[in-house]
Order: sequence, then structure tokens, then C-alpha cells
Amino acid sequence: MRPEIVMRYLGFILLFNALFMFIASVISLMQAESSFYALIYSATVAFLFGIFPLLFVPSTPKITNQEGLVIVVFGWLLSCLVGILPYVLWGGPFSFTNAWFESVSGFTTTGSSILSDIESVPKGLLFWRASTHWLGGVGIIVFVLAVMPSIGSAAMVLYRSEISALAMDNFRYRTQKTLMIILCVYVGLTALETIMLLSVGVSLFDAITHSFATIATGGFSTKNTSIAYFNSPVVESIIMIFMLLSGIHFGLLFLFVTGTFKKLYESSMVRYYIVAILLGVTLVAAMLHGGTYQRLTEALRYSAFQVISIGTSTGFANADSSIWPTLSQLVLLFFTLQCACAGSTSGGIKVDRIVLFGKALQRRIMNLRHPKGVFVIKVDGTTIDDQGVESALVYILLYLGILLASMLCITAFGVDLLTAFSGVAAAMGNVGPGFGSVGSMNNYGNLSDPVKWVLTIDMLLGRLEIYALILFTTIRQWK
Amino acid sequence: MSLRLKIISGFIILAVMLFAAGALSIYEMTNIGHSVQALLDENYKSINAAKNMIEALEREDSGVLLLLSGEWERGRSTIEDANKTFQTALDVAKNNITIPGEAAYVETIIQSYENYRSYWNQPIVKTAKEKNLSWYFNQVHLAFLEAKTQVNRLMTLNAETLYNTASSLKNRAGRAIMPGVVAIISALIFTAVFNFFINLYFISPIKKLILGIRDYTRTGKRSGFRVNSTDEIGELAKAIEELSVYQQETGQGQ
Repeated sequence: MRPEIVMRYLGFILLFNALFMFIASVISLMQAESSFYALIYSATVAFLFGIFPLLFVPSTPKITNQEGLVIVVFGWLLSCLVGILPYVLWGGPFSFTNAWFESVSGFTTTGSSILSDIESVPKGLLFWRASTHWLGGVGIIVFVLAVMPSIGSAAMVLYRSEISALAMDNFRYRTQKTLMIILCVYVGLTALETIMLLSVGVSLFDAITHSFATIATGGFSTKNTSIAYFNSPVVESIIMIFMLLSGIHFGLLFLFVTGTFKKLYESSMVRYYIVAILLGVTLVAAMLHGGTYQRLTEALRYSAFQVISIGTSTGFANADSSIWPTLSQLVLLFFTLQCACAGSTSGGIKVDRIVLFGKALQRRIMNLRHPKGVFVIKVDGTTIDDQGVESALVYILLYLGILLASMLCITAFGVDLLTAFSGVAAAMGNVGPGFGSVGSMNNYGNLSDPVKWVLTIDMLLGRLEIYALILFTTIRQWK
Repeated sequence: MSLRLKIISGFIILAVMLFAAGALSIYEMTNIGHSVQALLDENYKSINAAKNMIEALEREDSGVLLLLSGEWERGRSTIEDANKTFQTALDVAKNNITIPGEAAYVETIIQSYENYRSYWNQPIVKTAKEKNLSWYFNQVHLAFLEAKTQVNRLMTLNAETLYNTASSLKNRAGRAIMPGVVAIISALIFTAVFNFFINLYFISPIKKLILGIRDYTRTGKRSGFRVNSTDEIGELAKAIEELSVYQQETGQGQ
């Protein structure tokens, strides 16, 4: 492995961080805020660290798998580390642990926050906070590669490490083209949502920051009461549509935009995703109607927003779901675990693995009925080999195992069971809000520092899809 | 990029990082200095004024008691001195309104003091009020307590603000240290990276060249001069290779 090549690519990542910190500092300067100096200093440090390797290390078109993986893992960790600078330099409620939590939550697009009074934070810092979502959403690595035309085959290696293996099997493109597709869809959706929010009276700043958080399926709002602040069914509807779209494979969305509507409809993953969300909305609305909300339209409005928000791992809120009936909370917990499609910016186990799990279960039952029969698992006409199925099932087991271990760890620090389970599930699924003391209208600020560290590890594990981190730890044993 | 530029860029980056950290720390420290001054100007002045007002009120109360007991001269002189002190302190409070709601507090003090003053401003000695303790306790003393309570409220407001500002200053002092901490950590990491690059791009090729020259002088093989670099070290490697070729062609080599 060549550390200098890794450093060169990490330099690109730092430069992108520096660029967004600089934009945030301009906003701060325009608003005459105290966060200006913190942001400009952070941008300077990130820029200097980013530019230095580029001065020494010449451009290399070929990188190895090991180097690719190291770039991806270190890219995330480095972004999270650099991301804490504006927070710790500004001060306020940001201790080192709080800043790390906020930064990891931003870059992993989790959207959990330690802030109890978001509106008192300077706008420049809030823009940086939203930017961490946007940068993290599509994966800084993919982002960097998509706009670096001269990288060549290096792109393929990094792409393999960054994007879920399931998404790769579902949707094949030449890597450079795929990266450009992801970027086009990502930027296009963000711009479109910003324009739509502006057209219904949301301020430019709020429109941009909320679009960043929606398309990245993040969930950081600039308001203390999240989307409930706007108290507008129109704003909620716009955000719901874009949350739903952001949960779909970006390549399929691109095909949809370019006129190949059939592909989107034919995808069994998308069909399952939509049906599951519709079922969830109906179930929760039925439970809320007559109890929490007297009118059916109200029950539908709040259940639709919350189910879509959790089901796409965004984490915005228009109501306090922690006071909803237990069964509706369980439905939301199911979506916290499942989340949306592979190839999107959402986290969690992902719809694709749940579909494979269902098909594996179906095959097992068929095997029991016909012991000598040979049954293959097919998804959209493509045969999935046993290794693929096993990989998905092991991932689900591993995911639940880590969830259980983290939950036990957190309860040891005195956190109640509901908060611990939902908090860990929300962190691993990069969802954001849980239930109990970390509900949709609460924050993570009251949790102890060790609990916050456990949750940030869960966020990173969820974002890097566990396997990447396991591969990273065994990198020396690779041949 | 030439060797000189590469080395200079490393030092420039280090210098910029330290300069930025220093500048930010100086800015924060200067701000803290201004805040401390503002804290003293705004809150401490008002607290001091409130203390003086309370002391003046208590002296006026003693003066009223002297008048009640028939000691006109001592009573009047005490009251007049205390009134002057009170008015001076009140002027300080009126001209130092810096906290939201403070103006309303001062206005209430003026009203309650005017009410209290109306009792002792009129003759007491050799009137029906002299030695009339029930008049004192039922009217004068109540007005005195009311004025004192209002002044106390102003003092509490300023004391609370003083405490909160001091707490935020403590936080800002911590923040002022942060650029320095970041600069130290950054400088350490940067030095390690710089050292790595110097080793990789300067020391290693030079070592390789030395080994190549030694190998050439021993065996006459010219394979050890290749260095993957476009800077002066790459040029040096090329020059040595050209020299070795020249030597072999002119028969001066081995």
C-alpha cells in the first residue's frame, strides 16, 4: 500500500470540506455572527491539510483495492474529525464529545443532535451542519471522484468500497458514468426541492438547509421543532415527496427522469419499498385516528410524514411520535431497522436485504415441502447466487447482533431500555430520532459522554455497512 | 514543482496555520478583555449604585426616626445628606441601563422613592406626627420597605446578569484556547506528514542514487540511477546517468 496516494485522495476530501466551511463562513460574515472566525479558521486548516499532499504526490490513475478501502474509511473518519473544528472553536454547547457526535451524525446522515436550542446557533454554523449531511449523503468519496475527470480506473476501486454491494448488483453502469449519474440526480433533486420550498414561502436559508438534509436523508433542521415549525401541510408534502425519492436507488431515479419509467415500476425493491411505506402509513394512521388525533386527515398527515421520515432514514418530525400508541411506535421501529433502498443515501438494513431475506425464507419453506427440489432466488429476473443470499442474511444477523451489544452497553450507563434500543437502532440505521428520552422532539444532549461515543461508533458502522469496517480491520491479511 | 518550492510550501503552510491560530487567539483574548470591561461598566456600576441607594434609604429612615423623636436639626441633616447620596446613585443607575427590562425597574424605584419622600418632605416635628409611632409603622415604614424592595430587585437583576456574563466569559476563555490547541495538534500532524514526504521524495531517492553510484563504481552497471521524480533530484539522477554513459563511451569508466 502506498500511503502517499491515500494522502493525495484524502487531500481532495479535505478540500471539499474546506470549500463548504468557506461558504458557511461567508454566510456568517454576512450575518455578522460570532461563528465567522471559527469557520474561517477551520476552512484554512482543512485547506492547508488538503492542498499539501497535492503539491508533493503526483496524480496516479491506478489504486489498489486496499488503498481504495483505506481512502474510504479514512475519508469518513477524517471528514468527521475536521467537521468538529467549527463546533469546538465556536464553543457554546459543543464540548469535544458533543462536537464529535454532531459531526459524525452529520456526515453519516443520521441527524441526531445534542442541541436543545438549535435556533440560537449562528446561521453559518447551521449551514455547515447541513453541509455535513449533504457531503456525507452521497459519500464524499463518490462526490470527489465524480467531479475529478482524470482519475480513470481509480474510480472503480473507490466506488466498490463506497457503494453497497447490493446496489452494485442491481444496477450496472460504467463507474465514471454511474458517478456522474449519482451526482446529477443528487444535485438536481436538491435544487428542485430548494426551488419548491422557496415557492411556498420558506426562506432561502431554510430551503437550502432543509433540502440538504432531505436529499441526504439526514434530518438536521434549523428549527427547534423540526418541520413542525412550519405548520404547513404544503411544506410537509414537498419534503415527504423528496424524502420518498431520496430513498430510491439514484440510478433508477436517473432512468425515471430520462424517460425510462418502466424500470422504476419493474424494480421489485422499489415496489416493496412503496408498498411497505403505504402499509405503514395506513397502520399508524388507523392507530392514531380517534385517539391522538380526532380527524382522519390529521392522523394521515402526521402518520404519513413520520413513517416516510423514519422509513427513509431522514428523521425529520412534524409531531412528537414518542407520545403515540405503543403499536404505532413499533411500526416506526420496524422502519428504523429496515430503512430504504440500497443505492440511495439511506442507512439501515435496507429494503434489498429484507426482500432477499423474504425470498430466502420462501425458498426454505419450498425446500421443506420438496426436499429434492432445486430452487433459485431471482430478483427482477437476475439469479442471486447463494453467496449473495448468505451475505445478506449474515449482514442482517451481524446488524442485529451489534445492535444488541450496543444496547447492552448503553443500558449499563443507566439509559432506559426503550431509549437504548430505539437510540441504537436510530444510530445504526442513520435515522436520527428514537423514542423515550431521544424522541423526535427531544435531543441526545442529556446522554452521558460514553453513551454518545457508543452511538457515534454505531453511526459509522451503519454508514460504512459493517463489512467495509471489518475488511478494513483485516487489511493486513489481504493477499 | 522544484525542490525549493516544495520545501517552502511546507514551511509556508505551517506558518499560515500558526499565524491563523495566533490571530484567532488574539482576537478572542481581546474580545474577552472588552467583555470584562463591559461587565464592570454595565453591571458592577449598577450594583454599586443600588448598594448606595439602599444605604441612603436606611439613613433616611434613621433621619425620620430622629424627626419623630423631636430632633429636627439632626434629623433634617441626616435626611438631606442621604437624599443627595440617593439621587447621585439613582442618576448612575438611570444612565447605565444595559439590561432588557432595567429601565422599568429604575422607573419603579423613582416612583416608590417619590412616595417615600412625600412622607418626610413635610414637617414632622411639632406636628401631630411627632412621636406618632403608628403613623410611622403603618405608612412611612411601609413606603421605606417598598422603595428598598425595588432597589433590591434592580441589584438582583444586575447580579444575575453579572453571574451569567461571567459564566459565558469562562466559556469564551476556553474557546480562546482552542485555536492554540488545534494549531498545536495540526502542527504536530503536519510535521509528521512533512517528514514523511521529505523522506519519501528527498531522502529515499538520494539514498537510492548513492547506492546506484556505489554499485556503478563496483560493477559498472547503470541501472541504479532511475528516480521517479521531476524535480531537481530527478534532474540529478539524469545527470549522473548521462555522466556514466559519457564515461563508458569515452572509456574513462571501469
